[in-house]
Amino acid sequence: MLSEGQVNEIIIEIENAPSGVQSHSSSNQTSQEKTLVDSSFSIASSISDIDARDSQIFSKRNDKKGNWLLPFSTSLNESLSQTLHSPECMGVDTPCTSYETIQAQKLIASLIPMTSRDRIKAIRNQPRTMEEKRTLRKIVDKEKSKQSHRILELDCCAQCLNSVLRAYRRSKNSLSEFLSYISPWQKTLKVIGGKFGTSVLSYFNFLRWLLKFNIFSFIVNFSFIVIPQLTVAERNTLQFTGWEILTGTDYFRDTVMFYGFYTNSTIQHGSSGAAYNMQLAYIFTIGVSFVICFFSLLFSMAKYFRNNFINPHIYSRGIAKLIFCWDFTVTHERAVKLKQKNLSTEIRENLSEICQENAKSTFSQQLTRFSAHMATLIVSTGVAIACCVAVYYLAEHNSEFLRKHPNHGAVLLLPFLVSCINLAVPRFYSMFGLVERYETPRHEVYIVLIRNIFLKISIIGILCYYWLNIVALSGEECWETLIGQEIYRLLLMDFVFSLADSFLGEFLRRIIGMQFITSLGLQEFDIARNVLELIYAQTLVWIGIFFCPLLPFIQMIALFIMFYAKNISLMMNFQPPSKAWRASQMMTFFIFLLFFPSFTGVLCTLAITIWRLKPSADCGPFRGLPFFINTIYSWIDTLSKRPTYLWVVWIYRNLIGSVHFFFILTLIVLIITYLYWQIIEGRKIMIRLLHEQIINEGKDKMFLIEKLIKLQDVEKRANPSSLILEGREMEQKGPLHLGEHDAMPDLRFRRSVQEDNSKV
Amino acid sequence: MGNKQTVFTPEQLEAYQDNPFRQRIAQVFSEDGDGHMTLDNFLDMFSVMSETAPRDLKAYYAFKIYDFNDDDYICAWDLEQTLTKLTRGELSAEEVSLVCEKVLDEADGDHDGRLSLEDFQNMILRAPDFLSTFHIRI
Repeated sequence: MLSEGQVNEIIIEIENAPSGVQSHSSSNQTSQEKTLVDSSFSIASSISDIDARDSQIFSKRNDKKGNWLLPFSTSLNESLSQTLHSPECMGVDTPCTSYETIQAQKLIASLIPMTSRDRIKAIRNQPRTMEEKRTLRKIVDKEKSKQSHRILELDCCAQCLNSVLRAYRRSKNSLSEFLSYISPWQKTLKVIGGKFGTSVLSYFNFLRWLLKFNIFSFIVNFSFIVIPQLTVAERNTLQFTGWEILTGTDYFRDTVMFYGFYTNSTIQHGSSGAAYNMQLAYIFTIGVSFVICFFSLLFSMAKYFRNNFINPHIYSRGIAKLIFCWDFTVTHERAVKLKQKNLSTEIRENLSEICQENAKSTFSQQLTRFSAHMATLIVSTGVAIACCVAVYYLAEHNSEFLRKHPNHGAVLLLPFLVSCINLAVPRFYSMFGLVERYETPRHEVYIVLIRNIFLKISIIGILCYYWLNIVALSGEECWETLIGQEIYRLLLMDFVFSLADSFLGEFLRRIIGMQFITSLGLQEFDIARNVLELIYAQTLVWIGIFFCPLLPFIQMIALFIMFYAKNISLMMNFQPPSKAWRASQMMTFFIFLLFFPSFTGVLCTLAITIWRLKPSADCGPFRGLPFFINTIYSWIDTLSKRPTYLWVVWIYRNLIGSVHFFFILTLIVLIITYLYWQIIEGRKIMIRLLHEQIINEGKDKMFLIEKLIKLQDVEKRANPSSLILEGREMEQKGPLHLGEHDAMPDLRFRRSVQEDNSKV
Repeated sequence: MGNKQTVFTPEQLEAYQDNPFRQRIAQVFSEDGDGHMTLDNFLDMFSVMSETAPRDLKAYYAFKIYDFNDDDYICAWDLEQTLTKLTRGELSAEEVSLVCEKVLDEADGDHDGRLSLEDFQNMILRAPDFLSTFHIRI
């Protein structure tokens, strides 16, 4: 390339000139010179682009990014001038140095007024080596300290604030380091990612994230509810048989596992000890843990939406994405080869799709497709409703059935049926794929997910309805414990089925695929199905926390074991995925699913329980009250008698308890949402206009270049003798023209291709 | 402290991973552009390809990796080279040129026949997977 030739020429000049400087660090300096020249060329070639760049569209709000490709910092220039001591060398790149010093000074000037947090972010965003970033930071700090000497000394308040902020930042860094250090399974995840890629890894990351939720819930529940209860625990008079692990009845009924065991008294050890009101502790602990879960889910969802949301208007087929988003985390040699093969297959499929999509489908084809969709919709909804009816019917007649068959196995019938439904029906749904043809693979994935989640949520919904409307009102002795036991059984049966599926089902499938029907081959990890199972289990846990406070602990152990089981099964029975799976988009969708039907449904259930249901008369911390919420009412009443806590009572009566406050709050939220929506609409229009502007600029550039070519042709024809001179001049003028020169053959090629396309 | 630097040869880096772009990565991140990385270059590479590096930084370096002829534009030749490395020569020549044309169609914003850094960044915006795939785990 001509630019490289340029570089070589100038390098030779440098090496010849300074004969005095013959230290063994000269190679270091020449390499520095080379990089200086390299980068100066790259800068100069993009100088034309720097002005046109509008970084505002692409930068985040907090980034104060100015120039992208940046020149050297002045300190390197200074150090070079100090070490070389020869004006000829500096003379070589003087025309470029003036550019660089101006740019460097501009950069430093822009960095100085920023706060240190923004400055660190801006420096970190620079595409430079770490040495350069460090020198840049040193220069900026020196400049800033020089400047601040001129201003008056900051008073000690501001200094204190600065030191506090610095300490906070340092502690945050060390905390995040510590958290990543104790984060479990780091190495296992790396191996999984290396062999199977980012998509399968996203399932295991999701599992780890859910584990953190459960650990947090468990710690909160354990410290505030279980431990105080254990200090006043009564002796357990029941026998321990082995069946409790599965059924949760008998021995476990009178332990801290279930709601019925908890006392409603105020625990006080000794006459002067602090009083611990168990009722308030129970309701507040569960409330606070749910509030924290709510906010952390909300923030995670918002973070994923911000990073991964795609404007559907500008979504493209995605062949460019296939090319440029190669998965760099895959390191295993065989996996890389397999991935390359799969990529070529997928590119071919993508090409054929693009060629085919120009052909419009006929009316009869569209009609058949539409009727297939409708048929599958009706069938899937029908199947889901049938399953719900079956579950409800069994649940209703369960108590009679249990009375007739009072053995341990009978209690497990309902959970067994539910787990069978959860196992069989999704596989039945996936058979619809043979009949239906979808427009894009993305549609297929979303429709499959929506069907499955509809099935699972409707089953949970039916069970909740049954529990809250029938069991709670049936007058049983300790209905909360009964519900807790049911949920415990469901969860455990689901866990047993998942383990069996991992170890037996997938193993069988591998045997069949490898030995008997070799055309099937190894199976691929079905990420959607597995993630939905995790979401289902987590929903059950959230519903059950109120009735069975140790349920997060059970789920913790279950998730721990599931991780290892799935990992082992993955390594033994699966092959890497063949199609590209849009992991980030899917993760956003999964977390949204975890929030929207799952968590909000749990909140509704809990709200109905607390506000509408009557606690059982002689067990649990709320025994005897007309409603669960009456604890709060009586607490507020006791507080209102104490003068120091009247503000709490005021907040409760006028903010939480009044309708006007919520009305005004809702109105404000709606107004803000409407304003943001209008801003988004305006930005979309802006993006479209700027996009058109870019296209127009490109057309202008081509037009001007064509004119330039024509003029040069005319000149060449007029003066053939000055051709050689012109060539040399162009070489020395600088890479700006070189860039254009290189662009011209490409442009001509591109134009001819476009003309061919338009002709076709 | 002496000036002794540890230099990683491309062969040593190759033993670490089987990435089809390993030579380009070594070339882009090395100081002298021919694949010999010092410790600082090595750290730079891992810093850029870590989980928390900002998107624009990653896009910049990915652009440099895919720009085989180092002219600050990804032209059709660069795309052909990328495709060959990605598919190990499994696609035929006309498929390769067809794919390159489609990519330029999709991503080229100012219609000059090659991808500039802005076109690349704009396209990366539409591919949220990029952050998680342009990532080397330690």
